[in-house]
Amino acid sequence: MIRLLVALGGVTSLAAQQSLESAYRTTGTAVVAAFEAQRAVLQTSSAVILDGRKEAGYGVVISPVGHILTKASEFLGVKTPSITVDRTGFPAVKILAIDSEWDLVLLKIEAAGLIPVVYAPTSGVPQGSWVVANGATTRTHRRALAGIVSAKIRDIPATGGPALGVVLKAKSKVLEIEDVNPKSGAKKAGLQKGDVLLAIEGKAVTKVEEIAEVLKDRKVGSMVKVTFRRGKDEQSVDVRLATRGEMFTELMNNNDLMSGDVSKRRSGFPRVLQHDIPGNGKIVGGPLLDIDGRCLGMNIARANRAENFAIPVEDLRALAERLMKQAVQPE
Amino acid sequence: MTTRLTCLFLALLPWCAFAANERLYVNDKKAPETRKDLEALQAALVKALPQARAATVCIEIGEGSGSGVIVSADGLILTAAHVTTGVKKKVTVVLEDGTHLKAETLGLVAETDAAMMRIIEKGTYPFVEIDRSNSTRLGDWVFALGHAGGFDKSRGSVVRCGRLVRIAGATLQSDCILIGGDSGGPLFDLTGKLVGIHSRVGEQVQVNMHVPMSEFINNWDGLVKGEFIGEGPFATKPVKGNGFLGLATDARPEGGLRVTKVGNKSPAQEAGVKEGDVLLKLNGTPLEKREQFQDLLKEMSAGDELTLELERDGKKQTLTFNLGAR
Repeated sequence: MIRLLVALGGVTSLAAQQSLESAYRTTGTAVVAAFEAQRAVLQTSSAVILDGRKEAGYGVVISPVGHILTKASEFLGVKTPSITVDRTGFPAVKILAIDSEWDLVLLKIEAAGLIPVVYAPTSGVPQGSWVVANGATTRTHRRALAGIVSAKIRDIPATGGPALGVVLKAKSKVLEIEDVNPKSGAKKAGLQKGDVLLAIEGKAVTKVEEIAEVLKDRKVGSMVKVTFRRGKDEQSVDVRLATRGEMFTELMNNNDLMSGDVSKRRSGFPRVLQHDIPGNGKIVGGPLLDIDGRCLGMNIARANRAENFAIPVEDLRALAERLMKQAVQPE
Repeated sequence: MTTRLTCLFLALLPWCAFAANERLYVNDKKAPETRKDLEALQAALVKALPQARAATVCIEIGEGSGSGVIVSADGLILTAAHVTTGVKKKVTVVLEDGTHLKAETLGLVAETDAAMMRIIEKGTYPFVEIDRSNSTRLGDWVFALGHAGGFDKSRGSVVRCGRLVRIAGATLQSDCILIGGDSGGPLFDLTGKLVGIHSRVGEQVQVNMHVPMSEFINNWDGLVKGEFIGEGPFATKPVKGNGFLGLATDARPEGGLRVTKVGNKSPAQEAGVKEGDVLLKLNGTPLEKREQFQDLLKEMSAGDELTLELERDGKKQTLTFNLGAR
């Protein structure tokens, strides 16, 4: 990519300069004040996820009795979670169900009389339409930030493809595991150093390229059956596929370096709505509202300084219903 | 007197054009206040977007990519000097629908980052109108387009909305958030007229710099003619004779130059020239003597494209590559 220069332009005499006061800039107080109606929705229907006393992200209130959706991988990284809705703190947070493919978790707090978000009828609004999401918050007051829908709705393939999370021994005639990533599905499934991979989903594998071939069209968060040899035993386990970015530190390119706080998981989503709200990495998990204050989706990743992704409302609704059912009748 | 002149001027304008390009009233408010103001901004942007998007291109050059915008039906493109980096270079332009087209860089202004290029394939292309009247004011609402991070057909070019937050000489600053790959892309006012070309960013997301249209308009003739205007920092002027090829030759009595040595990792080696090859023509000129070959190269600069016609094992072949820097 051509790198934008970071240096500022030539020196101009101060008299020739005109500068807009910060209050009137897109993130300024005077402009944000125009979105008070949408901010009021964030006040009551967005949840603040706290880690101790620090804000860790946001959530979407979807029932009066305290069902909340947020981003799973971010929430699971919170050490001492509690939730604030409006001005009330809820110290006890229960995990009801998780969808790894979309990186979504359904939480429950002991509440009554909350105001759930109102879903927008469709995420298919024209590009250039206003959207509003959570900006930085205080303990009692939600702030709003505005932006626009900025690209086509589409899927975001997993960077580097979905992966098991194992490092294979180089220059080995067999697919022997050299290392297992601690955050991987392979670790959770119990794969170990020294295990030799034999087959994935019943398809024999003898080369790295063959593994890539089998995994290439599978979804992040889905399970694959891995057959391997340990000592003399042949065994099979189910391994959850993850994005490389979740497990390994992705190589930072120039665009990442100029973006600051990007989401750890920012790829491998079946469908996203893109917007340009100038928030930081904590924007994820919260609702994306339209000009009517209706929920157009849930922020799922800050990909870089110019691009944010949200799960579109149709998918969010379907996921919410599915996770609610799952919560009532655990598998 | 002034009033009469103004009236005359207005009367000369076709009414429909005037109505379509009317300045949005929200621009003259310090900030939008009502739902109606927000809807007016949104409606203007949504209306201007399709044509703006159709005219926005991705420019593939060397290892990287930038953006640009078509400003005439025959394919004149405005972009940034740090994207084209030089004049008369061959580049590829990608339209929103994925069509790849051959293009050539024209002139540039090295101090301010303005540059021009042209699609060399004949056709009628979607284009946008340039704001020639310098009508934008501080605080005006604007939108940016560009192929952030490179071309992505399933995504399209990315639109961002913001305001003009600083105007200082040859630089416009907006809070439309730009990133690598946007360089050279267009900044529009809410009537869809081109007001700037993306140039560079600061560390804070609110600091995004654009080259104003005045820089292009004031240098238009030189840009069209393919002149390299001014010195750095956005493009380095080519210096004749600083090109590096990396091979040694001996003249053959029957014409052509036999390659006696190819420098390790030299541009010649990387292009595939081998010891023993016989060089027949450089850029179409038959080669006879070493001195003549050197004189021809001295007229070229680092980064220039050259075409070598050569013979290997009785077979002729042609290599096209760029000179390195000495």
